[in-house]
Amino acid sequence: MSITAISQQLLRAIGVGIAVLRGDDLHFLFWNEPFSEWFGKPDSGSSLPDVLRDVDMEEIRAALQQNGRYTGELSVKVKRRTLVIALSIAPANADVQDLYVAECQNITRIRELESMIDSYSSMVERNTRDLEREKERVERLLLNLMPRSVYEEFKTFGVVTPQLYESVSVVMLDFVGFTRFASEHDPTVTLGELNDIFTAFDRIAEQFGCERIKTIGDAYLAVAGMPEPSPDHARAVANCAVRFVRYLERRNQSHQHKWEARIGLGTGSAVGSVVGIQKYVYDVFGSAVNLAARLQAFASPMCVVAPGTMEEFLADEFHLTDLGKQDIRSFGELRLMRVSPGTELARKARQF
Amino acid sequence: MAKALFDKYGGFKSVSRIVMAFYEKVLDSDEIGDFFDNVDMPSLIDHQTKFIASLLGGPVSYSDERIKKAHASLDLTHEDFDEVGRLLKETLTEQGIEPQDIDTVMREIESRRTSILSVGTP
Repeated sequence: MSITAISQQLLRAIGVGIAVLRGDDLHFLFWNEPFSEWFGKPDSGSSLPDVLRDVDMEEIRAALQQNGRYTGELSVKVKRRTLVIALSIAPANADVQDLYVAECQNITRIRELESMIDSYSSMVERNTRDLEREKERVERLLLNLMPRSVYEEFKTFGVVTPQLYESVSVVMLDFVGFTRFASEHDPTVTLGELNDIFTAFDRIAEQFGCERIKTIGDAYLAVAGMPEPSPDHARAVANCAVRFVRYLERRNQSHQHKWEARIGLGTGSAVGSVVGIQKYVYDVFGSAVNLAARLQAFASPMCVVAPGTMEEFLADEFHLTDLGKQDIRSFGELRLMRVSPGTELARKARQF
Repeated sequence: MAKALFDKYGGFKSVSRIVMAFYEKVLDSDEIGDFFDNVDMPSLIDHQTKFIASLLGGPVSYSDERIKKAHASLDLTHEDFDEVGRLLKETLTEQGIEPQDIDTVMREIESRRTSILSVGTP
């Protein structure tokens, strides 16, 4: 076999589409099997634009003149499959441009895979966004169950270690006659009332630097000075307490159901921690909590009662009425006082 | 549908192999290939990738509504549906999916018959 014959044989055998074109008019001199499979057999005397109808001849000629070669992409429909073909045309001999070789590679599979990856990654990205949203939802939910700093500890270490806070204050509120109300009304009414009131309390608590820990039935418990220590914790709870009373007074003027509450303040140490494994509850324990609960029970309706030890912190801002020494269970004799809004707050209260 | 199938067969790696093989078969089919005559490649691939992934319990779910929409204009018959099912089964077998898992997938497909054909039960 001659060298020419061998070369032709080779060109026929490879999977790349090859055509040889005359330099001056781009007429076909040779093409191999894959080329004719994709573009059809060129008729004798036909030139490149006759066969590759979609290509821009101007562009090809310009590219050949400027860069000595052209590369581009075209798609052909073979049966019902759209093939993507990478076409490159270059002179067979760089010096004399009497022959051009058109080389066609079938890059359909690459394009198909690219489409698939695009499709898949858009799926995955959407999924990731969904997960992200879900994560935020869970985080918001957990933040309802525990303070943020506690949540951060929980997230980082998987547990929340009980922490002792030496000096915190507690406000505890309980409604007068709640049991009777609950038995006389539809549970949804009771719940609606509580929800309404406690939501307002939450806003007040947040504004005055308290954190609501929990509600137990109709009891509302909030703390100040934990988990973020604060020097103003006594004033914070007193501020909340007098505003709880004011809120209820104002609400009673316009609502069908009238609510009265007893409020106790406590101060001292407390431990805060997450309790339980499956059902997380952030809770607080300690003398400050117990004291607030006792004083709340002691308080008259719509009154705020605080231990005498809080006097020095509250005297400037609130009106304090001495209630004398009282015997409080598990605390013994304690000097107590009633906390009412100070002159400044009372003046403002009258304005609205 | 267990997410397990998708994970069991290596996630996207197996989905891509199945999609490519299934795509070839569908286009080459004398019975149903014509439906894809005028569908452009990227959108067909996109559709099949999501479809196969959802059948295997991957990170996407195709609502019946969407399936209905995609096929509504095609006027498909039960024979067409069965042919696609056959091709898919063939593909899954060739790609080494275990028989009981193929059954699971085929059940998934079957449950979408009415959505795909936009007709009542046969």
